[in-house]
Amino acid sequence: MAPRLSPAAALERALATKRILVACGSGGVGKTTTAAALAVRAARSGRRVLVCTIDPSRRLATSLGLNQLTGKPRAIELTRLSPPPSRDGALWAMVLDVKSTFDELVTRHTPDAAARERILGNRFYRHISAALAGSHEYMAMEKLLELSADERWELLVLDTPPTRHALDFLEAPDRLLDFLDTSILRWFLRPYFVAGRLTLKVATRTGAIAFRLADRFLGLQFLQDLSEFFLAFESMYDGFKERAARVHELLRESSSGFVMVAGPTALALEEALYFHRRLTEKRMNFVGFVVNRVHTDPAREVRAQRRGRAAVAPELAARLAETLREQQVLARVERRAVARQELDTRERPVLVPELEQDVHDLRGLAEFGELLFSGAPAGARRAAVAR
Amino acid sequence: MRLDDLLSRRLVVLTGKGGVGKSVVGAALAVAAQERGKRVLLVEVAAPVEAARLLGGPPSQGRETEALPGLFTVNLDPAAVMDEYVRHVVRLEMLVRRILDSPIYRRFFAAAPGLKELMVLGKIMVLEEARERLSKKPRWDLVVVDAPATGHGLAFLKVPLAASAAVPVGPIGHNARRVLAMLRDPGRTALVVVAIPEEMAVVEAVQFHRLAAEEIGMEPAALVLNGCHERRFTDEDEAEVLRLTSEGAEGELEPDVPLPAALRAARRQIRRRKLTHFYRTRLRRTLDTPLVSLPFLFREALGLEDVRLLARKLEAA
Repeated sequence: MAPRLSPAAALERALATKRILVACGSGGVGKTTTAAALAVRAARSGRRVLVCTIDPSRRLATSLGLNQLTGKPRAIELTRLSPPPSRDGALWAMVLDVKSTFDELVTRHTPDAAARERILGNRFYRHISAALAGSHEYMAMEKLLELSADERWELLVLDTPPTRHALDFLEAPDRLLDFLDTSILRWFLRPYFVAGRLTLKVATRTGAIAFRLADRFLGLQFLQDLSEFFLAFESMYDGFKERAARVHELLRESSSGFVMVAGPTALALEEALYFHRRLTEKRMNFVGFVVNRVHTDPAREVRAQRRGRAAVAPELAARLAETLREQQVLARVERRAVARQELDTRERPVLVPELEQDVHDLRGLAEFGELLFSGAPAGARRAAVAR
Repeated sequence: MRLDDLLSRRLVVLTGKGGVGKSVVGAALAVAAQERGKRVLLVEVAAPVEAARLLGGPPSQGRETEALPGLFTVNLDPAAVMDEYVRHVVRLEMLVRRILDSPIYRRFFAAAPGLKELMVLGKIMVLEEARERLSKKPRWDLVVVDAPATGHGLAFLKVPLAASAAVPVGPIGHNARRVLAMLRDPGRTALVVVAIPEEMAVVEAVQFHRLAAEEIGMEPAALVLNGCHERRFTDEDEAEVLRLTSEGAEGELEPDVPLPAALRAARRQIRRRKLTHFYRTRLRRTLDTPLVSLPFLFREALGLEDVRLLARKLEAA
C-alpha cells in the first residue's frame, strides 16, 4: 500500500486530479467558504474551475465578495491576487437557480411544444417546482450532470444545501429512482384521477377504497392536480430515470470526491462521523475532513517564558487571567471532540483555526486556502490577514 | 425588545442560519416564559440532539415531554406526523395499518415535494390550537418553534403559501391557508431571526428578514444576536494590553498563568468584541426590528444554568 498522505496533501492532490469535488456538512460550519477557498486554490494552481453552490441563501456570492451570483457561470477575476494565478488557471462561480434549471430541463427534454407547455403551464408545477425543499437536491443533481459534461471546466467544486443532514443531497438520485420505480406513479396515472373523468366508475374495489381514502386526507383537487402534473411529465420519466442513474454512477467514479466540512463542536463532528460511515457504505470517495473555526489555546502559541510575577495591576491581571482561562476551556473542549472523531474514523482532519477576520472576499479566500494547506501557525496567520 | 410583547403571542418561530444557536435561544425563550408561570411547549423538527438535553429533561421521542415544571419539549419527526395525520383522518385501525405498511405511502411521502413541511406546520398549528378537554383553555400558553436552518427555513415557511396557491381547494389547500393565516397574524405569531456576529450569518439574517416580509407576509418581531463578545477592558486597559504586548512583557499573572498567553487571549477578546460591535451596528442600521444581544458562553457543555442565564439576559433586554 502506498504511504499515507498527510490530510492536507491528500486534499491538495484531490484538487489537482479530481473532476468533481463535493463539499458536504451540516449548516453553519463554513462549508460554502471552504468550497470557495478550495476552488480558488485549484484555480490559482492552474486548473479551470467552476464552483457552484446550491445553497439557496446565496452565501457563495458573499464569500466571493460579490453582491449577486446567478444561475449562469460567471468568471471571477483572479489577477488581483498576489502572486497571480498561473496562466491556465481560471475560476467561475455560480449559484443553482432551481426554477430556471427546472424550466430548462423541461424545455430540453420534452418531445414537443405541446408537452412542454403542458408542464410549464401546470399550476402545481408553477408553484411547487422552485419553492420547496427537496427540489433543490433534485435540481442540483441535474445541474451536476449537465456541468460535468461541459469541457470548459476541469474541476467542479460543488457546495451542498444547508440541510441538517448532509446525506439528503447524496440520496436524492436514489430517492428519485426509487420514486419513479414504484407503482405510485402508475397509481396516479390511472385515468380516474384525471380531470373530467373523476366521476367515472372506479374499476376495482381496492382502487375504489384507495381512491376514497386519498380523497379524505389529501383531497380530490390535490390528487387531480398531482395526476395532471405526473401525466404532463410522463414523456420525461425515462429521461429522469436515466439521468438519476448516471448521477448515481458519477458520484461513485474515482474522479469524484467528497470533502466533509465540520465545526469543532461535538455535535458537528458526530454528524461528520455518521456521514463518513455512510459515504463509505455507498462506495463514494472520501477525500478529507476539514474542521473549521478551531479555537486555539493561546498558551500553546507563545514560547515558554520567564517565571516570576508579571508587573501588571491586580485588577487587570485578574481579568487577563480570566480571559485566558475561558479561551483555554474552549480550546480543550474542541481538542477533545476532534480527537474522538479522529479515533472513530481513523482520518486525521485538516484543522483550520478561527480566522481573525471573516472571509468575505477573494483575498480572504486565498488566505483561508493557505491556512487550510499549511496549517500555518497563528503568528503567520496574523501577518497574512493584516491589511 | 419587550420580552412581554414577544411572550404574549401564542407562537414564536425562531429562524436563522445553521450554527447560530437557535436551539439554545429557543430554550432560553421557553425558560423565560416558564419562569413567568406560562405553560410552554418547545418544538423542534428532526433535531439530531434535542433541546431537552440542554434543559436536563428526558428525550421527547416525538411526544410532549415535561423537561421542567410547565415546560415541555417535543421533537417532531415528519414521517411520524404524517402517520398521525393518517390515523386521525382514517380512524379505522385495520385500514390505517394497511396504509402505513404500504410502500406506496412511504415513497409518496418521501418524494412528494413540500408534504413534510406542510405536515409539520399543520401539526404545529394543531398544537397551538389545542384546548383542554374540560376547561377549554388553551393547552399551551406559548409554543416556541425551532425552525430548520435558513436556506431551507424560508422554504419551510413558504410551503403553506405555495401549497395554497397550487392547490386552491381540498384539505391540503384549506389547511395550508389556515397555517398561513396563523403565521401572518402578528397577534398570534412572532417570527424571531437569530444571527451571530459574523459576516455570513448577518447577511443572511438581513436577507431572511426582507424575504419573510415580502414573500411570506411575516414581519419579524425581533432579532437575536447570539454569541456576542462584550467589552471587558476599559480603553485604558486595552491600551495597556497593547503596550505590554509591544514591550514583550513577560512573567506570570498567577502560578502557571503566563502573561504573554493572557495578552494574546486579551487581544483576541478585544478583536471579537469589536467584531460584535461592528455587526450589531450594521444590523441596527439596516433593520429597525428590536435587537437583543446574548453573550458567547465559554463552557465545557451548555446546561440548564446557562439557559437560565440567557433567559435572564432576554428579560433584561
